Amino acid sequence: MPQPPSSPSWWGVARLSDTSTDTETPALPGDGLREGIVDTLRRDLGEQLIDTYLLPQKDLWVRVASEAWAITGRSLKLQGFDYFCFLSAIDWMPSPFGKGEDDPSAPPAEPDPEAGAIKQGYTGGDTRFQLFARVTDLKRHVSVTIKADVPESLTMPTWIPSYAGANWHERETHEMFGILFDGHPDLRNLYLPGAFEGFPLRKDFPLLSRMVKPWPGIVDVEPMPANDDETPAEGGES
Amino acid sequence: MTMLNERQQLSYIAAQAADARLNVELETEGMTLNIGPQHPATHGTLRIIARLDGEQVIWAEPVAGYMHRGYEKLTEVRTFPQVTTLINRIDWLGSFANEVPFILAAEQLMDIEAPPRAQYIRTIMFELSRIANVSLFLGDLGVQLGAITPVFMAFRDREYVLNLIEGATGGRFHPNFDRIGGLKDDLPKGWIDETKQVMKKLRQFCDEIEDLLFGNEIFQSRTRGVGIIPADIAKSYGMSGANLRASGVDWDLRRDQSLPMAWDKADFKVWTHPDGDSWARCWVRLQETREATKIVDQLVDSIPSGPVMAKVPRIIKVPEGEAWVSTENPLGEMGYYVVSKGDLGPFRVKIRSASFNNISITPWVLKGVYVPDIITILASLYFILGDIDR
Amino acid sequence: MGLVDRGRMPIPLTKLFNIGRSYSMWVYQWGLACCAIEMGAAFGSPRYDVMRLGVIPLPASPRQADLVVVSGTVTDKMAPAVRRLYEQMPEPKYVISMGSCANCGGPYWDSYSVTKGVDQIIPVDVYVPGCPPRPEALLEGIVLLQQRIKNEDMGAKWRNEEYTSLQKTAARAAAAEQPIVVGGGPIE
Ligand code: SF4
Repeated sequence: MPQPPSSPSWWGVARLSDTSTDTETPALPGDGLREGIVDTLRRDLGEQLIDTYLLPQKDLWVRVASEAWAITGRSLKLQGFDYFCFLSAIDWMPSPFGKGEDDPSAPPAEPDPEAGAIKQGYTGGDTRFQLFARVTDLKRHVSVTIKADVPESLTMPTWIPSYAGANWHERETHEMFGILFDGHPDLRNLYLPGAFEGFPLRKDFPLLSRMVKPWPGIVDVEPMPANDDETPAEGGES
Repeated sequence: MTMLNERQQLSYIAAQAADARLNVELETEGMTLNIGPQHPATHGTLRIIARLDGEQVIWAEPVAGYMHRGYEKLTEVRTFPQVTTLINRIDWLGSFANEVPFILAAEQLMDIEAPPRAQYIRTIMFELSRIANVSLFLGDLGVQLGAITPVFMAFRDREYVLNLIEGATGGRFHPNFDRIGGLKDDLPKGWIDETKQVMKKLRQFCDEIEDLLFGNEIFQSRTRGVGIIPADIAKSYGMSGANLRASGVDWDLRRDQSLPMAWDKADFKVWTHPDGDSWARCWVRLQETREATKIVDQLVDSIPSGPVMAKVPRIIKVPEGEAWVSTENPLGEMGYYVVSKGDLGPFRVKIRSASFNNISITPWVLKGVYVPDIITILASLYFILGDIDR
Repeated sequence: MGLVDRGRMPIPLTKLFNIGRSYSMWVYQWGLACCAIEMGAAFGSPRYDVMRLGVIPLPASPRQADLVVVSGTVTDKMAPAVRRLYEQMPEPKYVISMGSCANCGGPYWDSYSVTKGVDQIIPVDVYVPGCPPRPEALLEGIVLLQQRIKNEDMGAKWRNEEYTSLQKTAARAAAAEQPIVVGGGPIE
């Protein structure tokens, strides 16, 4: 029953156990599957497909213009991406509070000129907030992460017409980031009591408990079993 | 298949009738029913508000948030090893399974891989937590439909599994056993023999439940044809796990993606059911528990020897990048979208939990059903509050 | 029991009542999060069998309960409901707070939505620390609570006196009033 791994890299070729009833996806060299998806999207969106990032055989990121957000959803659904995974947002601003593990009584550190700069992740971006969503094609066993910049008005079109499951995810995103969704039937709070103020997942939302009490946990970095034989370095990297 | 189509049609007709009723001005006086936030029939503190017309639900909406603990914000102020302590507690019945996707995502970013022995043990513990999770579901199912005994049986046999988890990890519940690059410890002596015996007991438990509950006429008539979810609706709501497979979609992340885990070394069947009703969902879970015991049996026999921890730096800094890893958790697809900026801690972690999507379908599926069916449907959808609210 | 609220009962009689009270406690399970499962294991599983301690975990509503076990994370959204539950319970009532979350916020001590301890909302008699505490720890908490109940003067509680313990001196009574912490001394 147990077989030795046939390929040296685990992250590599898609392998299916023999119980599969689906047709196997042939692993194309150079990942033509994902390139094909990009091509189809480019055909549908044209200029509005801004950037892509492809890790062959692993994953695909696509950034589209914010105006094209709704069309992208429809295009993906028509391509066969009918399984809705999630939708959320990300605030790329570095947190002004650091990680909150410093002693609050200590004088604040010198402001770092680099610190305020916003640097987006894969596929780049121009705005502080980015929306990202992930959908899966259950037949071809492939998923894609879609990103889009959120404009100044913090309003984006809704994905509900394409994916009904986006409803709650958009409510959550609205609550956590304050992003509005055009066409969403009801953007009530999902989690927090009605009187709650602020948008918790924005980086400039402070965690008040951390302001009054230093976080002691940062010092006890547990020694790893693999490094037992080495003499522990004094807080540095070994 | 004709049976199925008739049933599906009936459910559609009921839903449409409910829609139509909303528009008719001359309706019987409505009534609003509030279930929860604390109710024995909800797993935790979910509240359901239902507007009724007689016995029929015309509109229902779950109110979540009673267990919102702010995981996504807290992960931003923790270091990578500390995060596992937190995310353990999202789906609290299958804690170990929560750690795995996050650790895999971090490992993917760091471009390291756990040694084969660690991968095997991870998979075994993963399946054990699936058994611990779903066995309680099978017991609870009885309670919610009016049978008290199954829950005692579930608690009895679940203790054996918890003993196993405790023996290996030191924690009954929240093991926090996974480390980036491997595991905290190796398995203790004698653990494998005990595991095999416990798996035998668990298979017996499944048989008992099948006889006692699934063979029961009342149970059948309360679940068959109740709360039918067609496959396309299930997919567009992002339902996953047994709920999706019960709608006839053959999709299991254990089989359909390649991860550095040992599932592809085991021979198991992914069960699906064409009906999509409450019965199908319960039945698929029962079969899954059996399959999980088989996976554990096969894997403990073939654990390779070797270390359980790869070489990792003492202070873990994860290089810049983004990674998404999801696994087939007891409740469905659980995934983490980890964004790292090269710091000690993650920059942003988006937690995609299964119950959140699974339960977001309730406004759709509860439309047009009768009041007792609310409980059946919620029970069969199987959610855990921590997994909805995070 | 008119006798109790009218005046002082003889101590032996009080003790007799107390034994009756401590071994017939109806406990309401207010399970909120992960700890609820361990509470379920303690109350519902044949292995721990709480009923042998004279505790009945099956009241239909808080109005019939003597003891409530708050187990798990109390969020700010949940807090009013917890408060209301406590107010619905008849006197004399006792509260066991189970798990780090209910004690002090636990792993979510810095979260924006979690109440840092249920004792900010309702008075707590027994703290059971742990994340989650083992079922045995909860059982010990119940046993310790029963011991305290046996030394209580119900009349004093009714008359709103400062100390409700049967201890002779005020100092010892005050010490007996401290909340119980399972596996630890009194809270500093
Ligand atoms: S104390 Fe720990 S186990 Fe208990 S509810 Fe809190 S996080 Fe969960």
